[in-house]
Amino acid sequence: MIAVETQKLVKRYGKTFALKGLDFSVEEKEIMVLLGPNGSGKTTLLLILATVLKPTSGMAKVMGLEVTKQPTQVRRVLGISFQDARGFWRHKPAEILRFHAAMCGVRKTESATLIEETLKMLELWDARNKLFMHLSGGQAKRLEVAKLLIQRPKFAIFDEPSSQVDLRGKRAIWEQILRLREEGSTILVATNEVREAEYLADRVTILDLGERVTCDTVHNLKDKITGGDIVELELEQPQEDAEIPQDLSEIPGTVKLMQTGKGMYKAYVSMAEAWVPKMTSLCYEKKIRVSSVRVTEPSLDDVFLHFTGKKLESQANA
Amino acid sequence: MRDVVRLVWFDLKQELRPPVWIVMEWVTFGIQLFVYGAIISQLVSGISNYQQFYAAGFVVMMTFEVGSHSGRHFVEHAHDGLLPYLLSLPISRSKLFLAITLQGGAELALMITVPLIITLSLIGNLTAISVVAAIVTLFCLGFGIAGFMLGLSFIAFKSSDVYSAVTIVMSTVVIRFSTVLYPFIFLPPSYASVAIFSPLTYGADLFRLLLGFDPSMLLSPTVAVAVIAALMATTLGLGMFLLQRLVEGVKSA
Repeated sequence: MIAVETQKLVKRYGKTFALKGLDFSVEEKEIMVLLGPNGSGKTTLLLILATVLKPTSGMAKVMGLEVTKQPTQVRRVLGISFQDARGFWRHKPAEILRFHAAMCGVRKTESATLIEETLKMLELWDARNKLFMHLSGGQAKRLEVAKLLIQRPKFAIFDEPSSQVDLRGKRAIWEQILRLREEGSTILVATNEVREAEYLADRVTILDLGERVTCDTVHNLKDKITGGDIVELELEQPQEDAEIPQDLSEIPGTVKLMQTGKGMYKAYVSMAEAWVPKMTSLCYEKKIRVSSVRVTEPSLDDVFLHFTGKKLESQANA
Repeated sequence: MRDVVRLVWFDLKQELRPPVWIVMEWVTFGIQLFVYGAIISQLVSGISNYQQFYAAGFVVMMTFEVGSHSGRHFVEHAHDGLLPYLLSLPISRSKLFLAITLQGGAELALMITVPLIITLSLIGNLTAISVVAAIVTLFCLGFGIAGFMLGLSFIAFKSSDVYSAVTIVMSTVVIRFSTVLYPFIFLPPSYASVAIFSPLTYGADLFRLLLGFDPSMLLSPTVAVAVIAALMATTLGLGMFLLQRLVEGVKSA
């Protein structure tokens, strides 16, 4: 069942188009990751779905509710963790979470335990009595994420959930997002971090310049890259067999083969999981022992490069 | 309505943290009234007790400042990123606007309670009805100014510096070219022709009339009531419109 859907969604700021007729959907109880560099329209899409911004034209639905026609009902089924931590500067984390829980209808009896658990889980317990303005960037970001973990909405939106957070904190946030999905939430994550996308995504939508470039599972996206998998081989050949490079090149799915040393080859293949068994059969027939096989998958950065002609991470860090 | 009250209270608590600034406002009022007001009263001959006149005027000035602060508060919310959070909360836009407005009203009530009590005890000889009516006048004026400043704050989404500069000049001009500090009948014609367009003129005159000041020094109360009511209705409408406009167009901070 479709939980979120947009059709021909356009958002314009003056003469600049942030979204150019976006068609997009998220299945119920899946984690959809929006991957794209800064300025690709990710945050604009999230803010439209959260009813913070109105679209210039087109349609957007959340859980069957139109964001422009039933905004209050939409806000009741979703929660959003913003890219920049949004806080009441002179309140403390525990107070902010209590307020958020109350506004979102979490029962008081439940919220106290939930807040304590979440603060401890995200390593904010020691900072619970600090004012928001005295929190570090990483702590403020974790507090922003904590709001959603307490709210546990049907549809949860995370905008760059682990930016500014250290590696341990990132892992803790990702685990909680996965847990939220297991409990039945539909999740939309916007990020420009490849590792985050690979860790979380059931499916990935690549956005660039306000348009959807492609959408699929991480596995399928990687498979779509011709020659994206790299297989490094070491063969034990008593004597050099001139036919081997030719035979390896003729295995279906081989895009390019390079000999890197004596009995050592580097093959660029489309699907390593299909190519490797064929290669081992070939070697078995030729009575050649395979002493090592190393498969390197393409990253989502390679996928982004393949579909847009641009490097994602260099843009994200620019 | 529970959500509205919760939101007002939470935002107000933030404003009162630390509460020392509100106490400082009361101290400022006391010093202005009992030092400056008392001395200048001896130099002024046209009014029988200028200290009382000044006290009432100072309360109106404080009302203007709190109303003006509401606009700045809104700009700050937009710039520190809190506004998108408020817009994403599961309450309707009209309830959110009501909460923002009530928060301004509550802040006004806190700010002027002590100065008002001091002013009333200084003037004495008042009826309960006139005191209630005077308070209502201040609230209407405060809401009207808050709504106007919210409208003005819209320009600040491009620059909060421009907003601050404009409000400083505005408060100087609006207060000086009004009857907050001196009666209308004593104004030179050139100043009077400007003061007649200032909402503070009507707010101050109506407030003083209800406190029992000499009506011959003041403008028509009927016109004053009409101006204050119109100011409140139009600026609150404008504020609501701009909030919707904000939702439609302004990019998140």
